[in-house]
Amino acid sequence: MAMPPEDPLPELALLDRMKRGDEAAFVALYRRHSDAVYRLAMLYSGSSAAAADVTQETFLQFIARPGQYDPARGSIAAWLCGVARNLARHPDGAREEATDPADLADDIVPYAAQVDGDTPLEHLLRDETAERVRRAVAALPPHYRDVVILCELSELSYAEAAQVCGIDIGTVRSRLSRARAHLAQRLALFRPSGAEEALS
Amino acid sequence: MNGTIPMDPSRETLLDLKLDHLARELAAHSTPPALEAALVARFRAQAPVRRPAFWWIPPLALAAAVMLVSWIVRAPAPPSPAGAPAVSAAVSDPDGPFLALRPLEKIALDGTTVVETQFPRALLAGWGLPVAPERAAEPVHAQMLYSAEGEPLAVRIVQ
Repeated sequence: MAMPPEDPLPELALLDRMKRGDEAAFVALYRRHSDAVYRLAMLYSGSSAAAADVTQETFLQFIARPGQYDPARGSIAAWLCGVARNLARHPDGAREEATDPADLADDIVPYAAQVDGDTPLEHLLRDETAERVRRAVAALPPHYRDVVILCELSELSYAEAAQVCGIDIGTVRSRLSRARAHLAQRLALFRPSGAEEALS
Repeated sequence: MNGTIPMDPSRETLLDLKLDHLARELAAHSTPPALEAALVARFRAQAPVRRPAFWWIPPLALAAAVMLVSWIVRAPAPPSPAGAPAVSAAVSDPDGPFLALRPLEKIALDGTTVVETQFPRALLAGWGLPVAPERAAEPVHAQMLYSAEGEPLAVRIVQ
């Protein structure tokens, strides 16, 4: 699912023009990345309204301080996703930052209540299968949820996910493996239509 | 903690199918259109003022104009038409300068004629020129510059 990074040069040229006030360059960058940022924000926030707010705030930050993006550290897509992730996680960011990943390895119980209760997370997607998988992803511990959202659902490379989360690629791989095991376990009783044929 | 957890291939495939299903469903969701307009307006308000693409034309035109004027001022004057005496040329003549008897503007504007003549030196005193009394009766060879109406404009003593 993870995609190889694209050639950054055209994007950097657009960014350079944008910094000089070129509106067309900003629009081009916005149209290239806004949907990915919005979907990522949907997955983190569980609400389309909140996702729109996060997307707007992310690009406002991009407009106000484009110099914060360092091409040496990764792609514009990864940087935008990192900003959106931090903004979307902000309400419970302190709790997540304080959590030791080692303690979260086999613990998904505290997050089940957050997902299955009467929260904005419900009924975000009309499709039953997609909604069930989304809720299972949302129920993952934050450090596992990060890598699933970034690598499996946002098409960032392992290197870009590592950049966003501030961890090394090896840690991304191991967390993703464990996250997939958790997801498989949680979704074991649910098989989407067509799955049987695909497996046979 | 950095190890991976091996999974049954069929469970891997089933999980991939489910995640693909979610990804496809998410792909149907796009950013609200109004967001772009709001952000573009914000960008316009915050973007640095851009110089027009041809900002260099006015300073270049000014520099060219200054160079042209400088060249015109320094360029040598075109030669005078044959037969038309010019005061400036006469001034640089080795016989000596013409002495203006009328305002210079009048000399420059009128069509002029140079006439060789001879007259008593005492006549120079009438034009305000110094004359030694003992030589007042001596004749003087001179060139007179006359206007088209016959009015004397300038005189030059020929040695």
